[in-house]
Amino acid sequence: MIEVKQLSHQFELGKKDKKTVIPVLQDVSFSVTKGEIVTLVGRSGSGKSTLLHLIGGFLPRQSGAITINGTDVSDFTEAQFAEFRLGTIGFIFQNFQLIQSMTAYQNVELPLILQGVSETARKIQALETLEKVGLKGFEHHYPSELSGGQQQRVSVARALVLNPLIILADEPTGSLDSETEEDLLHLIKELNESLDITFLIITHDEEVAKIGHRSLMMHDGALIDQEVK
Amino acid sequence: MLFKDQLYFVRENMKKNKMRIFMTVLATAMGTAFLIVLASVAFGLHDTLIKDVLEQETVNQVQIYGKDDPNSQGITDKDIDYFQSLEHVRAVRKQSYLRQSPLVSLNGYETSPHTVAVDMGALETGGTPLEDGRYATSSDEVVVGYHFYEQLLEKDTDPEDMYDENGERTEDTLYQGELIGETIDLTVSRLIDETDTEEKTYQLTIVGVTAEPANEWQQDQSLYTTFDFYQSISEYTGTPGGEMYFQEEPMDLTFYYDEVTIQSNNLENVQALTDTINDQGYYGYSVASELKQINMLFTIAKAGLIFIGAIAVIIASIGIFNTMTMAVTERAPDIGIMKAIGASPKTIKQIFLLESSIIGIMGATIGTLVSYLISFLVNIGLPMILEATFEDQLPEGFQFSSIPWTLVLIAYVICLLVTLISGSRPAKKATKIDVLSALRREL
Ligand SMILES: Nc1ncnc2c1ncn2[C@@H]1O[C@H](COP(=O)(O)OP(=O)(O)O)[C@@H](O)[C@H]1O
Ligand SMILES: [Mg+2]
Repeated sequence: MIEVKQLSHQFELGKKDKKTVIPVLQDVSFSVTKGEIVTLVGRSGSGKSTLLHLIGGFLPRQSGAITINGTDVSDFTEAQFAEFRLGTIGFIFQNFQLIQSMTAYQNVELPLILQGVSETARKIQALETLEKVGLKGFEHHYPSELSGGQQQRVSVARALVLNPLIILADEPTGSLDSETEEDLLHLIKELNESLDITFLIITHDEEVAKIGHRSLMMHDGALIDQEVK
Repeated sequence: MLFKDQLYFVRENMKKNKMRIFMTVLATAMGTAFLIVLASVAFGLHDTLIKDVLEQETVNQVQIYGKDDPNSQGITDKDIDYFQSLEHVRAVRKQSYLRQSPLVSLNGYETSPHTVAVDMGALETGGTPLEDGRYATSSDEVVVGYHFYEQLLEKDTDPEDMYDENGERTEDTLYQGELIGETIDLTVSRLIDETDTEEKTYQLTIVGVTAEPANEWQQDQSLYTTFDFYQSISEYTGTPGGEMYFQEEPMDLTFYYDEVTIQSNNLENVQALTDTINDQGYYGYSVASELKQINMLFTIAKAGLIFIGAIAVIIASIGIFNTMTMAVTERAPDIGIMKAIGASPKTIKQIFLLESSIIGIMGATIGTLVSYLISFLVNIGLPMILEATFEDQLPEGFQFSSIPWTLVLIAYVICLLVTLISGSRPAKKATKIDVLSALRREL
């Protein structure tokens, strides 16, 4: 489902004359098969987010190749990637990234609007998805009126609503307390089993890493160990 | 993304900053109103002038002043036949002026009228209707002008008594008797040698009076005779048109027309007719050709005023640019989220362009409505002010400002174009927003 080959990445800092190059990823290769939950662990600053951003198309690729669901996205333009992302990849971020001026319902409806789905179909799908993540009755709450766990569920619903093949999650439980963290992990497990969605989850939390079928270890921009659970 | 949803997004966004949007729309509306009102003056004056020209009876006419031919002294019957053979000609009106003012006496009253020989048969179609009576059918019959009687003065009355101190015609010196059916004595003079004159008196019957001229300022005091009578005077004096001139040898008395007016059947054909006639070496003139110049002049004036007005719209567009730039900056985090989900740069751009065009359309619409109001008030108010200050009546139907739909269309197009251009940079900026920076709230 996801295939990464010899991916390297570096950031350049400073002005032209005093340029410093920070290598972040070195020759990263791995693959994730359909229906898998793969966790990516490693210390803060090891390059996990950068890897995820490259797969998601938020960063321009420098070298190496990325194939998602059989499509080589290595040379996609920004516009191509946007279109591809919309229907194929869902995102969950550590700090939820909900639009504050929109209700839970409107946040979940957003991907459907971008997809050009009609209003009636949108209503059915958005409400159904909100119910699936256990937010029935909270449709008209704004993010500020929801708890952290509930907000993260809204963002899960938003990632889910277009029936993606893959969900990429960057520290999804990072802002949650341990109880809500457990609920969320439970939800992820459930979605994986019922909908066969592939998950790639970044975490530095050993507990979270346990829900994966497989865990990848990242250290200083390189995968050092592929452990199968 | 459906257009309906884009509109919804824009509406929601605009609601978030009503005051700023209001001020921007206001500035755009003022710019548009300035453009329309300014240009409406050229449109209004043009309309007034055109209407004035078109209302003139002469608008269908081609006046012939002569012929570019060294052997020819003027327009003859042969030329008239040629004019009549042309296409689109409804009537040819022709006249010749008597080269002296004969003395006319009627029941003890006298005057020396301007005497014109006309084609009696063509008078009616030629635009000279009668107030009373009929047209002359024989050479001893005449038709008098509507104001002819005002010039009649009782014999031995001091001409100074004709008008009072205000320049008005005095009532008690006015001829009160009948005109139609009355016989006048018309006395013509001729020179028999260098200094001595001789007179002859003709007896003529008044059979008709012409209608009052359309314009108040026009006076018709003429005496209308037939060409036959005109020719008999020429024969008596031995000079063309009865001119007071002495010569031993007999003169050429060929009949020439002083004024020939061709009436076209249709306003559209006047210009073509004028061109045809002028190509044949005649000196023809029509108001229609003047119309062409008037139109040209006003087209330039309109374009100039629209251009000046457009500057106001461009100034207003600075506000739009500002508003949109702020909107993009404020919404950068939301734009980042939308892009992260999968909104294409095109969609983002469309939303912002839509927002700026809506501001433009709202501004143009309000501006147009206000312009109509201002134009209406100006058309009512300005004549009143002018009449109060100068105590002068403006011509009827005078329009100072006029807003045709084409002007509204032009204003809309200019406004929309300017708003799109000023909104395009902010919109482009929105598409360039980096997802990761936006998500980190760095922008
Ligand atoms: N935009 C950037 N510019 C410069 N350096 C960056 C940028 N993003 C990340 N880095 C650096 O790249 C390294 C890896 O960061 P990241 O992928 O976020 O690590 P992780 O997610 O594992 O904590 C860090 O040293 C970080 O400072
Ligand atoms: Mg990270």
